[in-house]
Amino acid sequence: MAEELQSVREAGKMIARKRKNMGHNKKGSKAKKKQKGVPFNERRVKVDKKMKKLFEKRARDYNSDNEDDENENDNNNDDDIDVDIRERVPVNRGKFTSYGKKKEDDFEEEWVDDDGGEDGNEEIEVSEDENGEIQPGITRFIDGCRAFRLAFKKILKKSASDDILGPVLSAHKKLVAEKLAEEEVERKVKGEAKKEKHLIGEKGHVKPANYLDSREKFLIGVATKGVVKLFNAVNKAQHAQKGLNPSRSKDEKVIKKRRREVFFSELGKTSSQTVVAGSKAGAPNDEGPSWAPLRDSYMLTNPKLKDWDKNADTTAADDVRVPADSDSSDDE
Amino acid sequence: MARFRNKKRKPFVKHIVKKQPTVDHVTGDKIPRSFVFARGKLPGPLRRLQMDLRKLMNPYTALKLKEKKRNSLKDFVTLAQDMRVTHFLILSKTDSAPYLRVAKTMQGPTLTFKVHEYSLATDIAQSQLRPRCPPDLFKTPPLIVLSGFGTGEEHLKLTTLIFQNIFPAIDINTVKLSSCQRIVLLNYNKETKLIDFRHYSIRLQPVGVSRRIRKFVQNHQVPNLRSLQDVSDFVTKAGYGSESEPDDEAATVNLSSDIGRVNRASTKSAVKLQEIGPRMTLQLVKIEEGLCTGRVIFSEFGNTSAKKLGNEEEDEQESEEEMDTDGQENAAEEEQEIEDEEEQEIEEELEED
Repeated sequence: MAEELQSVREAGKMIARKRKNMGHNKKGSKAKKKQKGVPFNERRVKVDKKMKKLFEKRARDYNSDNEDDENENDNNNDDDIDVDIRERVPVNRGKFTSYGKKKEDDFEEEWVDDDGGEDGNEEIEVSEDENGEIQPGITRFIDGCRAFRLAFKKILKKSASDDILGPVLSAHKKLVAEKLAEEEVERKVKGEAKKEKHLIGEKGHVKPANYLDSREKFLIGVATKGVVKLFNAVNKAQHAQKGLNPSRSKDEKVIKKRRREVFFSELGKTSSQTVVAGSKAGAPNDEGPSWAPLRDSYMLTNPKLKDWDKNADTTAADDVRVPADSDSSDDE
Repeated sequence: MARFRNKKRKPFVKHIVKKQPTVDHVTGDKIPRSFVFARGKLPGPLRRLQMDLRKLMNPYTALKLKEKKRNSLKDFVTLAQDMRVTHFLILSKTDSAPYLRVAKTMQGPTLTFKVHEYSLATDIAQSQLRPRCPPDLFKTPPLIVLSGFGTGEEHLKLTTLIFQNIFPAIDINTVKLSSCQRIVLLNYNKETKLIDFRHYSIRLQPVGVSRRIRKFVQNHQVPNLRSLQDVSDFVTKAGYGSESEPDDEAATVNLSSDIGRVNRASTKSAVKLQEIGPRMTLQLVKIEEGLCTGRVIFSEFGNTSAKKLGNEEEDEQESEEEMDTDGQENAAEEEQEIEDEEEQEIEEELEED
């Protein structure tokens, strides 16, 4: 029996060692292993070959993320298992008192105390052992142990590196695959929503073509015409005041004087525009200034003046327009 | 617990505000200023459009205006009073399309445009082989050219008035040609009722001078003569095909003064425009009397104003008068004259078209 116990212990230690690598709960894995046989194959998550590479990469990330957690949990797992085994040991101690050592006893009790609060499962197991028969429990355990040994041997033969989707346990593998597939679906949904939002934001936004189409050319033409018109007007206006600075008061007087001259000279000449307007009205006046008040005959010989308030005359309106324009240029 | 004192106590510094002139020192006109901001949350590209518009409105705009979610229009109005801001450009967005509102502060009116299409300045620059951006491009206000608006409809008249006053008026007797760097074009299309909004940079080039010599004069760098047989070839040899293309006679001007090293007053210069963004296609949707409030003067979809067509015209005239008079009592006459002049220019253009 002592040998048996020894083997039990060793097995326990083996488990503990293995646990370190796997970072999973012993009971869960065991139970799943038994259940899994058939249903796993049925409910297998389909993994494309295409996606597999991606999954593998993500699984690597996934595992590496959990590494820290595993390391933290390692101690706890070790404790669980140690306790499992030792819980049985004190029961046996009744028969094999020589085996137990004082040191260990202290240790065990401490462990039991610690874990009693933490894990409900542990307590249940202990109670079972205490209530039920002890002998069959041990034998069962040993049977299981043999199975374990086989399983572990098998596992140890495997090299962990060849499959990156979960090193040992297919449950783990399956979970990872499932989770990754889920994440993929989620990501797709999120991406679509984002795309839609982006499309709404981009509404009306147009990237221009690399060449100038006829419409753009036309618009540039219109703008160019405007600029040319302005520059010509500026040239015409500023030609008279060349070399004078409008912000200096001395020059300003000169400029004003010149402008006035220009203004009066413009009043004096007949512009083509007014001639056209005049001919339209049927009263062409070739000689004399175009603006009516400047003519010598103004107010004297105009027959229309008698009834000036009765009808709004078109020629008068046209006549007034030109001086108004030149007047504005004078004032500025 | 006693509160911790802030260790980095800054000494009180009186904030010195560099005052921008409110009137043009030569002509004495009021300088219009503008705010460009958004109502509601804008997606990325529209935020960039807002930035582009601010750049376009330079230099008399708030380039770094920050707005928060809780800012109401009232905040902007009060701020505008202090800063003598005269125009608001407000971008907003609905599910169907982005909208641009152009408003005069305080009294209104407000023009609401639907933005059918737009391209950002970066898009335009990307589409060009050689995007051009001289350093002082945005230091002077742009010119504005309105074309196609002379259809006689009242709402279009109002639009022209507002857009003419959004930039400082140009006095052709005192203006420096070197300050005319940019131009904003608004072209109204009668058939589609859409307004094309374009922004160009103006470049002047001497006519009849080969590219090589132009560059030489501009850069003052020693040219590479490796491929030439003789020094005289540098002057006499014809250049590439593109430069031999005849300049359009209509696009050449005589300058009143020298601009830069290359463009002399004595020679003819060709006007070349290159687009700098943003580009927009606008549709005038609505005109409101007040600042984003008030009676609807004009509505494109015509559900409010269809019945009172008779009253409408009178109202519009009133609003125009209001616009002219608000805050411009002193310079009202002068401004009016300038407007007349500008209008006349545009009218002339239209006649030619």
